[in-house]
Amino acid sequence: MLQFDILGFLASWGTFLGIYAILSISLNLEVGFTGMANFGKVAFYAIGAYLGAIISTYTILAIHNISSPPYTTEGIIALGRYGGENPALTVGLFVLSLIIGFIVAGVVGYLLTYPTLRVGPAFLGITLLSFGELLRIFLQNYEPVGKTNGIAGIPHPFVWVANTALRDWLYVIVVLGILAIVYLYAQRVVNSPFGRVLKAIRDDETAALCMGKHVPRTKATVLFIGSGFAGVAGVLMAFYLSSVNPNMFVTTVTFNIWAMVILGGLANNKGAILGAGIVTFVDRILTFVTPNLGITAITPDYMRWMVVGLLIVLVLMFLPKGLIPEKPIDTPVWKAVRKLLKEEVNGE
Amino acid sequence: MRNILEVKDVAKHFGGVKALDGVTLEIPEKGVIGLIGPNGSGKTTLFNVISGFYIPTRGEVWYNGERIDGLNPNEVFLKGIVRTFQIPRLFNSLTLLENVILTPPHQEGERILKAPIKSAWEKQEIQLAEKAVYLLKKFGLADLIDAKVSELSAAHMKMVETVRGLITDARLYLLDEPAAGVAYTTARELFSFITKLREEEGLAFFIIEHRLEVLMDFVDYVYVLHNGKLLSQGKPDEVINDPKVIEAYLGG
Repeated sequence: MLQFDILGFLASWGTFLGIYAILSISLNLEVGFTGMANFGKVAFYAIGAYLGAIISTYTILAIHNISSPPYTTEGIIALGRYGGENPALTVGLFVLSLIIGFIVAGVVGYLLTYPTLRVGPAFLGITLLSFGELLRIFLQNYEPVGKTNGIAGIPHPFVWVANTALRDWLYVIVVLGILAIVYLYAQRVVNSPFGRVLKAIRDDETAALCMGKHVPRTKATVLFIGSGFAGVAGVLMAFYLSSVNPNMFVTTVTFNIWAMVILGGLANNKGAILGAGIVTFVDRILTFVTPNLGITAITPDYMRWMVVGLLIVLVLMFLPKGLIPEKPIDTPVWKAVRKLLKEEVNGE
Repeated sequence: MRNILEVKDVAKHFGGVKALDGVTLEIPEKGVIGLIGPNGSGKTTLFNVISGFYIPTRGEVWYNGERIDGLNPNEVFLKGIVRTFQIPRLFNSLTLLENVILTPPHQEGERILKAPIKSAWEKQEIQLAEKAVYLLKKFGLADLIDAKVSELSAAHMKMVETVRGLITDARLYLLDEPAAGVAYTTARELFSFITKLREEEGLAFFIIEHRLEVLMDFVDYVYVLHNGKLLSQGKPDEVINDPKVIEAYLGG
């Protein structure tokens, strides 16, 4: 008999969908709208996750005067004991992590554009790809963040809620709420003269420069925003899983997000959410169902890649622009122009 | 008449190659000036220096009494110089209207902090719409506002490129072979339109063109480049009968 915890599945899917949709919206801003091939998305996600882990665990340990770091057994036990003591503190640390995660990841993204933007798009992609790997290898070898073990015992912001199901659902609401903010912000930013400039840069950088647009500054701005959102997603994941380790941040994660954007449709925020929804659904359903099927030859991980790969091939064959194609920038200019043209016809 | 652009002893060297080697020339206000010369004579390099793509090895470029060499292309544009390319470089995935409305400088909604707040830039958008409609009707493009520019005819693309410049308040246009690949009559229409813009709007044009049979009927003055140096200059019929020019073209 199949055992399937439907509510548990939905809560898990909701959290993953929210976090990955934030990542795919931010990647879509960079790749879909501005044409910057960011192959190092995972780095900014990792920065957020590790910052969240460091801020929350070290603060709680410091408050209780415990010298064992959060990657030792003593430290993790202490975090388990004291983590839930003070609701205001756990929530406060969570909010602080989100803010710092956004700013630090954003600033790193902004600074990384400096050496690369002027030399061409391929260099940006390769530089960011290597940065992601370098960061992972650094984390793997840096003692204060636990080397390969990473950091554990990150206090769940709602750890003081006794009912675990309710705790999970509260977190789903927070994640989806942040997704809603990110989505609305992204929608407004792209449907503005700024969004028009982004698409112009994507289409022809030189021409955009000739039309007086400050191309390097605009790209750096987009990378600040995109990386900042990735940092937020990282913080959300760290607090959800309660631990981080370097293996969570391999290059595959970046391509996973690319898959979501390609599936959903480039330069389309709704598409980014749809793509994230599909990929995380496949991932979660396999994670929940496979153990019940008794299949051991194929792990959920491999199955996921096969299914996602097949989906991408099918979508690109039949809907080359993704599930939701790109639309023109929506600003009041359309309405105004149509009105003026119509008045003219009536006037004559 | 006052000069809108002055190029003073400009040189541009690439390693040992002297693409430009001491060029001095002037564009008067409301002037329609030609720039001709055999392939590789440095015409496009000169445009690249004026529009800010290259920093000259030597010499100065002055626009409206202001030194502009060393500025970035976007800064040169903001001073009031529009540069077009041999092949129209439009933003292909955007619609015709978006291409036109994109160009005007100093749009409030292009600032990242203001972009999400519609009320901060809505008014400006609507003002731009009025200007755009005026120009689109003048060029007979009003029915095509929704069209993707990549799907337009070549003649329409050139028009969009021109409208895109006109919606800004630029005073000087650097046109790189506007008549290339265009039928003879269309080319003549294009040049008579340039003449009209000069008279009606007071704009100045500096035009690279290989099709001398068209160019010579419309320009006031012509500069001839050869191997990075000015070979000759003067009124069209003077230049066309200059033995040095004939030799450069035939022997070049």
